[in-house]
Amino acid sequence: MRIPRKLEVWRMGTMNYLNALKLQEKLASDRKACKISDTLLSLQHPPTYTLGKRRTDHNLLVSEDELKTMGAELHYTQRGGDITYHGPSQAILYPIISLRDIGLGARNYVEKLELTMINLASTYGVQARPGRKCETGVWVGERKIGAIGVRISSGISSHGLAFNINPDLNYFKHIVPCGLADKEVTSLTREANAELPTEEVIEEQLIASFAQLLNYDNIEWKDNASAS
Amino acid sequence: MAMRLWASKSASYFKISVFNRGFATVLKDLKYADSHEWVKVEGSSATVGITDHAQDHLGDVVYVELPELGTAVTQGSSFGAVESVKATSDINSPVSGKVVEVNKELDESPGLVNGSPYEKGWIMKVELSNNDELKSLMDSDSYSKFCDEEDAKH
Repeated sequence: MRIPRKLEVWRMGTMNYLNALKLQEKLASDRKACKISDTLLSLQHPPTYTLGKRRTDHNLLVSEDELKTMGAELHYTQRGGDITYHGPSQAILYPIISLRDIGLGARNYVEKLELTMINLASTYGVQARPGRKCETGVWVGERKIGAIGVRISSGISSHGLAFNINPDLNYFKHIVPCGLADKEVTSLTREANAELPTEEVIEEQLIASFAQLLNYDNIEWKDNASAS
Repeated sequence: MAMRLWASKSASYFKISVFNRGFATVLKDLKYADSHEWVKVEGSSATVGITDHAQDHLGDVVYVELPELGTAVTQGSSFGAVESVKATSDINSPVSGKVVEVNKELDESPGLVNGSPYEKGWIMKVELSNNDELKSLMDSDSYSKFCDEEDAKH
């Protein structure tokens, strides 16, 4: 008998990066202890630059002081991947799920995160593709529309994906995004010919795309939930 | 295909028997943790790495975070991490003890973990503090079966 798989989705609105990180750590710890089921955080960040475990800060092209002047924060994290920017109108999904329970390795999981974004983009007639070797992420031609950075600890995932709906792409000029110097960044708004619904609808569709790819049977929605 | 050729060549070199399960190789004479690390015990000293199954599921390794020499490690707890395809995955120690050597080659060539997970891709050597702990690890047959069961989940 196959046990139905449930995904609990927390829609957090705009959330400060560090607060989101602390919440993920708590949820990952609870998930490891089997106190909660697979959980997904859906949110956006205020302007924030983040670095991965390898601390590739040579890809930050301005000083930290200049970032502060811009009103942006900088954070070092334990996730995989290079430097990236998060900001308003960029949909972020942080799945805190047990990959071990479903026997999913890093490579397969990341492929599913890529597909989550690719499938969503195709809904609006945008043909996106996964990255080639060393270019993990989601691309439209040679322009990057979605980024991935994941951490897996004791078989539980944290961090996740960032999909550009309509962020201010100028913020990407201050970094070498994902360490790839000659590549452009793009967004769904730029690439789609069709008229787009509200961001809330697109985010819901992104979540549904993820849930389908990871074979969840039902989704439980929690809005503006807080860690208890 | 290449893995099988490599496996049989190493097998004859090391004069150990190799059990091929599908595409991932499992070596006899090693012990395995359910988080896919292997350990080779020689007296009170042990060499630790990740298995062929693990490296295959990770993808191309681009970075290995090695522990500091002298660090204490505990069975089942994280001692480092590997990065592949934008994912950092913690690696857990199958044994408890003290780190006495780390594979510095991995700084320049993290891909050794993929190409040679049981040989050149070794990660650390540990002075064991408790040989009894080895009893809780799997042998090659149990580990092979464990991998098959895990892969059948999705």
